[in-house]
Amino acid sequence: MTPLPESLLESVAAAAVREGLADALYTRLSTPIGRLLVVSGPDGIVRVAFESEREDVALAEVAAALGPNVIGSDRELAASRDALSAYFEGGEALHLPVDLRLTHAPFRRAVLEKLREVPLGETVSYGELAARAGNPRAARAVGTACARNPVPIIVPCHRVLPGSGKLGSYAGGPERKRTLLNLEGVTSR
Amino acid sequence: MLPPFWTLVETHGDELLAHARRLAGDAAEDVLQDALLRALRAYPRLRHAEHLRAWLYRVTTTTAIDHHRRARREVVTDEPPVVATYDTHDDFEALISGLNDTAQVALRLRFVDDLDYDGIASELGCSVAAARQRVSTAVRTIRESYA
Repeated sequence: MTPLPESLLESVAAAAVREGLADALYTRLSTPIGRLLVVSGPDGIVRVAFESEREDVALAEVAAALGPNVIGSDRELAASRDALSAYFEGGEALHLPVDLRLTHAPFRRAVLEKLREVPLGETVSYGELAARAGNPRAARAVGTACARNPVPIIVPCHRVLPGSGKLGSYAGGPERKRTLLNLEGVTSR
Repeated sequence: MLPPFWTLVETHGDELLAHARRLAGDAAEDVLQDALLRALRAYPRLRHAEHLRAWLYRVTTTTAIDHHRRARREVVTDEPPVVATYDTHDDFEALISGLNDTAQVALRLRFVDDLDYDGIASELGCSVAAARQRVSTAVRTIRESYA
């Protein structure tokens, strides 16, 4: 299997974007926490998937929500790629537009919206984030919202820690969480 | 449910390029590029998610033939056509060759590009009822010419 020339694929992607045919665009990026799949819709990034997730499932999920014209292009997503590289290599804060339409439950969405406001270098406990999202007793639901966060890293669920100050769990595995926090200058027990 | 379009491209892209090369030689990459764009225009309106590989082959074939026609119009050449024979398609083209252009286009959209009537209507810029009418009239004309 010889893949198609990159130039051909990028030409198709560019023409499709120009014609407004693309429902979503995706790119794959090498990072210190492994390969990431980054998918963007018209309103922002809708999905980030770790290497440990099934890519076909993630893309099918996007196609079901946004439409089947899901197109791969490094060039059309150059701005997002640059921002992510600057974050991983230079510790710069990410300010990419995010589209949370894959999160349907209103409380989970509220949690992720509040989580976006937690800046790089800071952390928040599950209980505190629950309170910020309007229900201080819903720490467990915050855990679920983070576990199912469709846009990890950009919506920083790695900045949510248990009240004990320990590392806690992470959809991408604890090692990735530790690496991200270290990158941001946060040390956890 | 239709799979993400690029999954099809990543799975079948290389064989489609080989197919385009058989049909169009050096122009293969241009042909495939156009074919993928055409396919993207039609893809969200496909009526079913089956035979997608075969559908991409058909779109690539049609695009190669259109390229060849255009090239022939632009450059008068002694070279024989490089387009390979593609029986089903040639038969289809022969079948519809006696019809007027509008009828031919309607039939290609319906039977080659596999569009539904909403899709045909939007390609032709007419109402869905008119699209249905054009296809059925064209089919009837062919049927009567063979009666």
